[in-house]
Amino acid sequence: MNAHRVDEYLQATTIQVAKDRVQAEIHLTPGIAIYPVVFAAIDTDRDGAISIAEERAYVERVLRDVSLKVDGRRLKLRLVSSEFATIEAMREGRGTIQLDVDAPVPRGGPERTLTFENHHLSKIGVYLVNGLVPTDPDIHYRLQHRNYEQSQYQLEYVQAGVATDLPLSPWWTGPIGLFTIAVLLASAGLIRSRRRHASVAT
Amino acid sequence: MIGMFNRAAQMMVVAALCTSANGAIAQTPTARIVSAANAFLATLDETQRKSVSFAFDDEQQRARWSNFPQGIFKRAGLNMGELSPTQRSAAMTLVSAALSKRGFEKVQQIVDADEVLKTTEGNGRLLFGKDLYYISILGTPSDKTPWMLQFGGHHLALNITIAGQRGILTPSLTGVQPALYTANGKTVRPLGQESDKALALLTSLDSTQRSQAILNYRVADLVLGPGQDGKTIQPEGLKASAMTEQQIAMLVDVIAEWSGIVHESAAAARMAEIKSGLGDTWFAWSGPTTATPGHNTTAYYRIQGPNLVIEYAPQQMGGDPSNHIHTIYRDPTNDYGRKLTGK
Repeated sequence: MNAHRVDEYLQATTIQVAKDRVQAEIHLTPGIAIYPVVFAAIDTDRDGAISIAEERAYVERVLRDVSLKVDGRRLKLRLVSSEFATIEAMREGRGTIQLDVDAPVPRGGPERTLTFENHHLSKIGVYLVNGLVPTDPDIHYRLQHRNYEQSQYQLEYVQAGVATDLPLSPWWTGPIGLFTIAVLLASAGLIRSRRRHASVAT
Repeated sequence: MIGMFNRAAQMMVVAALCTSANGAIAQTPTARIVSAANAFLATLDETQRKSVSFAFDDEQQRARWSNFPQGIFKRAGLNMGELSPTQRSAAMTLVSAALSKRGFEKVQQIVDADEVLKTTEGNGRLLFGKDLYYISILGTPSDKTPWMLQFGGHHLALNITIAGQRGILTPSLTGVQPALYTANGKTVRPLGQESDKALALLTSLDSTQRSQAILNYRVADLVLGPGQDGKTIQPEGLKASAMTEQQIAMLVDVIAEWSGIVHESAAAARMAEIKSGLGDTWFAWSGPTTATPGHNTTAYYRIQGPNLVIEYAPQQMGGDPSNHIHTIYRDPTNDYGRKLTGK
């Protein structure tokens, strides 16, 4: 019997969705039996300590191993903060590495799909992932899907106050509009010029 | 001198208990708890009083609770092992005053289980047993201004905010290991009802309801356990509004295993609050849908409503998950009584 996690690397993520941004909190807690595997992944110079550079490198590795997409577009995660438990705490199965990340969400339509995948140290990983109830009243979750291990998560949500995913400015202010106007003006000028030439000829 | 102090303290405890017993009709539950708290504090010397007392809004102390045993988690306050028999008795009288009869019995059984664990598993830095449960008081015991009583150790964290006549038990953690043991020739399952009643509810569901209630993914641990204050996750599973009246009654009965830990009048107020949001309360299950008779289920389940989160999570941890359970009880709108106290 044990009072702590043993042979699993618990990786629990909560996700907060807002109109323009997604925030995620990732809690990583190694069990005592697999701690050496996790520690080896962090302590890459094998000096028995975790340096700031090793913390940074490990965080980057985790962020490479997870992916967050909205409407199929992978978002670039920005590290907001990270906190590493002491080596002693992690060795005892009670220490957690906490990463807070966020990413801007590109504009889109009212119906959106967020996907989150975590493949970090998947041989020993057990996963939890949950959407936090949105604080923005315009965001409404419709469906959550997960695979059995919770390494893959999909959230379908509706974002009120967004009429369409087309550009909001008038079409004639865009490049296509300007090009069309230029063509029309040029055509009009050519016609006038031809008429002028024609009148001279008669 | 110390002997005189102890005798005086003993007399105060006895007096408080007598007052409690004789004045039961006149005294409100809060007055009884305040009286028991003051009687406990009166047994302590100045150093002990400093150790047990914290500011009501001490956020660090509020959040200083865990499922971990002493040795790998540092608690604050006074532990039972450092109290004299009189002080310890007064401390437990205070805890019992704040709880229902069944709630206090459950707490004692959880603590007794840890005593069993001490004889079988105590090693190295993992410390178990009755002596390692801590008591602390945040604020000044009062029947008018809010204060908090904490009692906890391995597999137990009671955070009881007393605000006038209200007693708020959230957030609290109950757990047990071993979940099944024998004491005085009797089989004890401290969290047996939590398992059996929920399994009975699941069994009562028809196939359509079960397809909604049973999640198709594994939940390896508590989602909103220690350190997860202030979060509300998106609810999932079967909504109570899709249950029959009988099933709703069964759901309420499961919830009462947690809401009924606190003393009866606070529990009644809490249950009324929970019932007001019952239509929007969800029941979700992950894992086996049967259990070995007389043993706890190895499945995870969650009950979540507008002002309620209950999670029941068997722990793998290299052993039999039916014998090692963690649970959490929260009110996302009122953990630590914030809705009533504003702090």
